[in-house]
Amino acid sequence: MTVTIGLPSKGRMKEDSSAVLARAGFSVVAVGNDRSYRGRVEGRDDIEIAFLSASEISREIANGTVDFGVTGEDLVREGLAEADARVEFCARLGFGHADVVVAVPEIWLDVDTMADLGDVAQDFRARHGRRLTIATKYWRLTQQFFSGNHGIQLYRIVESLGATEGAPASGSADIIVDITSTGSTLTANHLKILSDGVILKSEACLVRARKQEHEGDPVVAEIIARVRGAL
Amino acid sequence: MPLVNLPTFAPQLIADLEGLGTERVDTPVIQPAEPFLDMAGEDLRRRIFLTESETGKSLCLRPEFTIPVCLRHIETATGTPKRYAYLGEVFRQRREGSNEFYQAGIEDLGEPDVAKADARAVHDALTVLKNRLPGVAFSVVLGDQAVFEAVVAACGLPAGWQKRLVHAFGNQAQLQRLMADLSDPAPSGVFGPEVDRLAILGKLDDEATLIAHIDATMEETGYSTNASRSPADIARRLREKMELANTRLDARTLALLREFLALELSLAEAPGALAGFAEKAGLSLGAALLRFESRVAALSATGVDPATITYRAAFGRPLDYYTGLVFEIAPAGEALVLAGGGRFDRLLTLLGAKERIPAVGFSLWLDRIAGVKGAAA
Repeated sequence: MTVTIGLPSKGRMKEDSSAVLARAGFSVVAVGNDRSYRGRVEGRDDIEIAFLSASEISREIANGTVDFGVTGEDLVREGLAEADARVEFCARLGFGHADVVVAVPEIWLDVDTMADLGDVAQDFRARHGRRLTIATKYWRLTQQFFSGNHGIQLYRIVESLGATEGAPASGSADIIVDITSTGSTLTANHLKILSDGVILKSEACLVRARKQEHEGDPVVAEIIARVRGAL
Repeated sequence: MPLVNLPTFAPQLIADLEGLGTERVDTPVIQPAEPFLDMAGEDLRRRIFLTESETGKSLCLRPEFTIPVCLRHIETATGTPKRYAYLGEVFRQRREGSNEFYQAGIEDLGEPDVAKADARAVHDALTVLKNRLPGVAFSVVLGDQAVFEAVVAACGLPAGWQKRLVHAFGNQAQLQRLMADLSDPAPSGVFGPEVDRLAILGKLDDEATLIAHIDATMEETGYSTNASRSPADIARRLREKMELANTRLDARTLALLREFLALELSLAEAPGALAGFAEKAGLSLGAALLRFESRVAALSATGVDPATITYRAAFGRPLDYYTGLVFEIAPAGEALVLAGGGRFDRLLTLLGAKERIPAVGFSLWLDRIAGVKGAAA
């Protein structure tokens, strides 16, 4: 069986993933020119590389069209229901760090915890005639965290595909759920992270599609062992 | 598999509902999604079938009947009291079972005699089930959020805590966690560094100064003072929170709440047990207890023996439009809910009704009833 690994097709993530694989002894080269979306591992006919956009990688792992992928844990957990049943997080790769967080306006001096936010959400309709709104592109993670972990049901999600951190100041939402690595964008927009508002500490991971045929496959086992050994 | 999944007993069930003095209504299968998401929260999004109109309006396949029936009532503005009956297909994403199935039920809107209407809802649900499933024994579980609210109020807890506890009512895990949090001071008193700084500057001493400070900061940082929470909202809640920072749920109150939530006994004995609990604890449950008693009396008057119903003090639904009675009916000794209902006095106002309309209703799971019927046959 040929094992396919999905790697990010551009930017820092592409370089960092190739570097980790190289340290593991898998030297990734593009097939054809540099911009090609297919690659191979030098000296290995049994491994194929597919260069994909980061969000495609989680989808392709879910479909089983690639066996492994390197992508952010946030994208996998947001993209797939019951992620742990469908994929295995084989290794955390130490780059692409980003936290998915709940952030509210700094000026909400009375709100520092999810419990505070729950109080505010509960009264919101009575005070403002509408539910509390959250701007985010992380629908699934937000729902799981708010209702599953904190029993907060009364809010509405406003989909935001870019510049989420500007939503509270512009009045298009009350609070946000977004990723942050240094927190500087949040600070610049006068937002603060709730003390118990970190939903997920994400980083790039080597992710495996849980497939029957992987069982006992020496190449699959070798990839996992060598990537883990290279960290 | 037959394409028609309407249970064979549907015509008889419609006759049952008609015999209970109701008016049959139907509602469109395709509904605006907003009211459902607004009432039940975003969680519902994963469990309904959503689509969009050409103009971008969010639509869904009817996931239940209560909201559509209430919306229709508001639109047609035909006055109250009204007893509506429905039977039709609902659509939900379920892990197990079909995604489309039939429900039937009654929504009783605007009956001013609350005890009578509550009793009638339980009676009607039982009547229909007994007619459709002769020879099957049922267990009925009943709860009442109003009693919990009265207990919490009588304990003299701060208003903010009362709201939190009432809000979590019906979600056991959440409620237990909340009570543990309130007994342990750490989580309830978290303030950011900015609040400490303001305290040193003396900006927290009176509300007007605090509001002015918040207002000025919002202006400076480009936040609108009226699009979301206002300076007054923030100041008021901050001061409330500071007052609570050094308070905690004392051991005696915690024990009382736990004792109350553990109550589970025959409904016939429940009024006496609640009165006994209140007296022993030195709490005055007043009107809530009276209403509870008159509901039990009204149930007896409809011919339902309260001794056959279980009262469970912790039973409720964590949705803000449920206000009092909730009940579920299952075959005796099984967990399979065949009928569920309750009082939702806040729903019609939330949906846009001009005046307050008290309401109570129940719905029946026809696929489950058909299953029990099949197993019994």
